[in-house]
Amino acid sequence: MSELYVVFKLDDAEYVLQASDVLEMESFGGATRVPGTPPYVAGLIHIRGRVVPVVDLRLRFGLPRIEPTLDSRVIVVQSGERTVGLLVDSAREIMKIAPEGLQAPPSWMGGEGDGFVKSVAHVEGSSGEKRLVMLINCAKVIGQEGIYVDERN
Amino acid sequence: MSHAFDASEFLAGFLVEAEEHLSASTMNLLAVEASLRKGENNPRAVRELFRSLHTVKGLSAMVGIEPIVDIAHAMETVLRKADRAAGALSAKAVEALLAGLRAIGERVRALSTSAPVAPAPPQLLDALAALEITKDEAPITVELDLEPGLLAKLSDAEKAQLIQGAENGRRALRVDFVPSPARAAEGTTITSVRERIGAMAEIVKVVPLSIPASDAAPGGLAFALLVLTDATDEALAAAAATTPEEIQTLHARRVDEADPLGEPDSAEEGVGETEGRRRGIVRVDVARLDDALERLSALVITRFRLARAADALAAQGVNVGELCEIVKGYGRQVRDLRGSIMRARMVPVAELLDRVPLIVRGLSRTTQKPVRVVIDAGKAELDKAVAERIFPAIVHLIRNAVDHAIEPPAERQRLGKPEEGLVRVTCFERSTNQLELGISDDGRGIDREAVARRASRPTPADDAALLDLITLPGLTTLDQATKTSGRGLGMDIVKRAVLDLGGELGLRTTPGAGTTFTLLIPLTITIVDAFSFVCGEQTFVAPISAIEEVVEVAPEALVRGPSRHSQLGEVRFMERRGEIVPLVNLASVFSLASGEEPKALVVRRNGTPLAFGIQRVVGQQEVVIRPLEDPLVKVTGISGSTDLGDGRPTLVLDLVALCGALSQNRTEVAA
Repeated sequence: MSELYVVFKLDDAEYVLQASDVLEMESFGGATRVPGTPPYVAGLIHIRGRVVPVVDLRLRFGLPRIEPTLDSRVIVVQSGERTVGLLVDSAREIMKIAPEGLQAPPSWMGGEGDGFVKSVAHVEGSSGEKRLVMLINCAKVIGQEGIYVDERN
Repeated sequence: MSHAFDASEFLAGFLVEAEEHLSASTMNLLAVEASLRKGENNPRAVRELFRSLHTVKGLSAMVGIEPIVDIAHAMETVLRKADRAAGALSAKAVEALLAGLRAIGERVRALSTSAPVAPAPPQLLDALAALEITKDEAPITVELDLEPGLLAKLSDAEKAQLIQGAENGRRALRVDFVPSPARAAEGTTITSVRERIGAMAEIVKVVPLSIPASDAAPGGLAFALLVLTDATDEALAAAAATTPEEIQTLHARRVDEADPLGEPDSAEEGVGETEGRRRGIVRVDVARLDDALERLSALVITRFRLARAADALAAQGVNVGELCEIVKGYGRQVRDLRGSIMRARMVPVAELLDRVPLIVRGLSRTTQKPVRVVIDAGKAELDKAVAERIFPAIVHLIRNAVDHAIEPPAERQRLGKPEEGLVRVTCFERSTNQLELGISDDGRGIDREAVARRASRPTPADDAALLDLITLPGLTTLDQATKTSGRGLGMDIVKRAVLDLGGELGLRTTPGAGTTFTLLIPLTITIVDAFSFVCGEQTFVAPISAIEEVVEVAPEALVRGPSRHSQLGEVRFMERRGEIVPLVNLASVFSLASGEEPKALVVRRNGTPLAFGIQRVVGQQEVVIRPLEDPLVKVTGISGSTDLGDGRPTLVLDLVALCGALSQNRTEVAA
C-alpha cells in the first residue's frame, strides 16, 4: 500500500513527511522569538488557538538563513505528544510512495545531520523526470526532551 | 459510536464516585481505629463503611471490574459481621480493611489511566476471609434487656452508646419518673429530675410512656430515663422521686443470633440525611470546566481586539464614545463570567487534605514513630488544577517531616519532648488570589552546618540561603536510605512544583524545636492581571503579583560597581527608600538589542530585591496565560504565552524565577 507524503523544499533539496503526521500547513508571517532558545527555534506562532513552537529547518539543517517569502510555509506536525511547526522554503505537493521505494539513507549524511533523514526514495515526477526525496525523522529534527539543553551547556 | 461514548461517560462517573467512597471509607476506617484506641466501637463509622463498600461493589459490577467486585465483596462480608456486632472490629481487621481500600484504590487509578486492572490479590482475600470476629476481639456482642416498645424508640447509635457504656464498666439503668401535681408543687418536674440525674449520670435518652392512670400517676404519664452512671441506686431514686427498687438494670446479655441491622438496601432511612445535604450539587468533569474556561479565554481576547479597533477608529477622528462604553461594559461582563467559572473550579482545601491522616498513619507505622497530625484548612478553597499539582509537594514535605525531622520516641523523651511527634498542616487565604499552606513539625530542625558539610558548601547565613541549598537537585542529608524517602530529600521537586505554579517556597527552622515550610501558591492559574511592557523592541507581559513596583530610573543616581561584564550585561545599583537595589537590563539578560532603560520593574525574591530595566510600560490588563510545554521553548523565566489581541503570541515572564536563575548564575561564577 502506497502512503501519502507531503513534499517540501529547502534550498535545492526536496524532503517528504508522512501526510498522517501533518496537522496543518500555514503561510509564515513571523513568529515571536523566545529568548534563551537556540537559533533554529524561530519562535512561537498561534495556530487555531494553539501556541506552537516553530523550528526553522534551514538553520536546523545547517543551511544559510533567508528572509521568509510568500512561498514560505509552516508545516505543523504531530510527533508523539508534541505539536511543532517546521518552517520550510515551500510546500505545495503531495505524493504517493510505495514502501519498497524507500531505501536506507546513504552514509554520507553524518555529523550534525545524523539521523535527520530516515530514508530516501527515487520517485518519478509528473513529466517523467527522476527525483530524489528524503524522508525526515521528525522526532530527531525537533529533538527529544532536553536535547537542546545539552547543546547549550 | 454512541455506545462507546456512553461507556466512557459512565466510566468517568464511576471513577468519581468510587474515589469519593474510597476517601470517605478511609476517613471512617481511621475513625474506627481512633475509637479502637480508646477501647470503644464506632458503629456509625462501621455502618457507613459497609454502605460505601456495598455501593462500590455494585458500581464495579455494573462496569464489569471483577477484581474490585471481589475485594469489595470480601470487605463487605467482614463489615456486615462487624455491623451486626454493634461495630466491633479488631485492630487486625482494620489493617486488612485498609489494605483492601488501598487495593481498590490502585485498581481505580489503573482504570483512570486506562492501564490493565490487576486481579484481586489472593492473600488479601484470604486475610479478609480469615477474619473471624472472636469473642476476645469483640466482647460487645450484647443486647439491651428492654421491653420491645421502649427498645423500638432507641436509635442504633443510642443502643450502641448504652451497650458500650455497659461494656466499659458503667451501669446502664432505667429510672422512671412519674409526674404529678403534688410533686410539681414540691418543685419536682421532669425538668428538675433531668437536671439532678444529669449531674450524676449520662442521660442517653428520655422516653415518655403512657401508663394506666392511678392516684400516683393522675396524668397517666411517666418518663423512662435511660442512663449510664456510676452513682448508687439510692442516689438516683432520690433524684427521680422514686424508690431504689424501681430502678432497673438494663441487663446486657450475650447475643448468639443478633438482630441483624439489615442489608443496606433495607436501611436506607439513614441515607436521606446525607443525600439531603448533597442535593443541588452537580458533579462536573474538570475537563468540561477547562473547556468553558478555554472559550472564555477567547472572549477575553475578543475584548482586546474590540478595544484596539475602537482606538483605531478614534485615531481616525471617529466619535467612539458609545462604543467605548459598550466595550467597557462587555469587559465587566467577561470578568464576572470569569469569576463564576473560576468559583466552579474551586475545591475545598480541607477535602484535598483528607488523605493526609492516612499518609501520616502509614509513615508513622513504617518509621515506628508515633505522630499526631493536626489539620487546619478552614474554609480555604483552591482551583482543582492547582490542587492537583501541589498535592504531591505537600505529601513530600509531610514524608520528610515524619521520616527525618521527627526524632524517634526514645530520643524525644530524652529531650523532654512529648513522645508523640506533631505534624501540622495549615492553610489560609493570604490575599484574594494567594493561599498560604504551612507544613510544620516539632522535630529536630535542620542543622545548617551539617547540610553545608554534606553539600561541601559554605554554611548558609539564614533560612532563605539554607532553603536554596537544600533545594539543590540531588542533595541529601541522610546517610542511611530510608524506606519511605529513599536517599534524596527531593526538595528540588517540591520547589519546582511550587515555582511552576508561580508560587513561592519559604522555610523557618529552629534547631531542636522544629521546621515550618510555607508554600505561597496562587488560588488559580490561567488568567492573571499583568503589566505589558516593551524591552529590546519586543513586548512582554509579567503578572502584577510578581512585581513590587515600577520605578523611574534616574541614570545620574546609578552606582556602577566593579563591572564584570558577564552575559547578564552590567549590574548597577540604585537606591530606593534606603535600600540598595541591583539593576540589570532585561534586554541584555535576554540578549536582545538593548538601549535606553528609563523604567525598571522591581521584583523581590526571598526578601532580596532586583530591578529589571525596561524600555517602557504599555499597560495593565488581564491576560490568559497558556503554559509553554514544549521542551523547545522551556526557558527559565518564561512561564507561558498570551494573546494581547494582535493574533501573535506574547511571552509571559516569570521575573521571580528569572531573578533566582540570575542569582544562581552569579554564585556559580563566584564559587
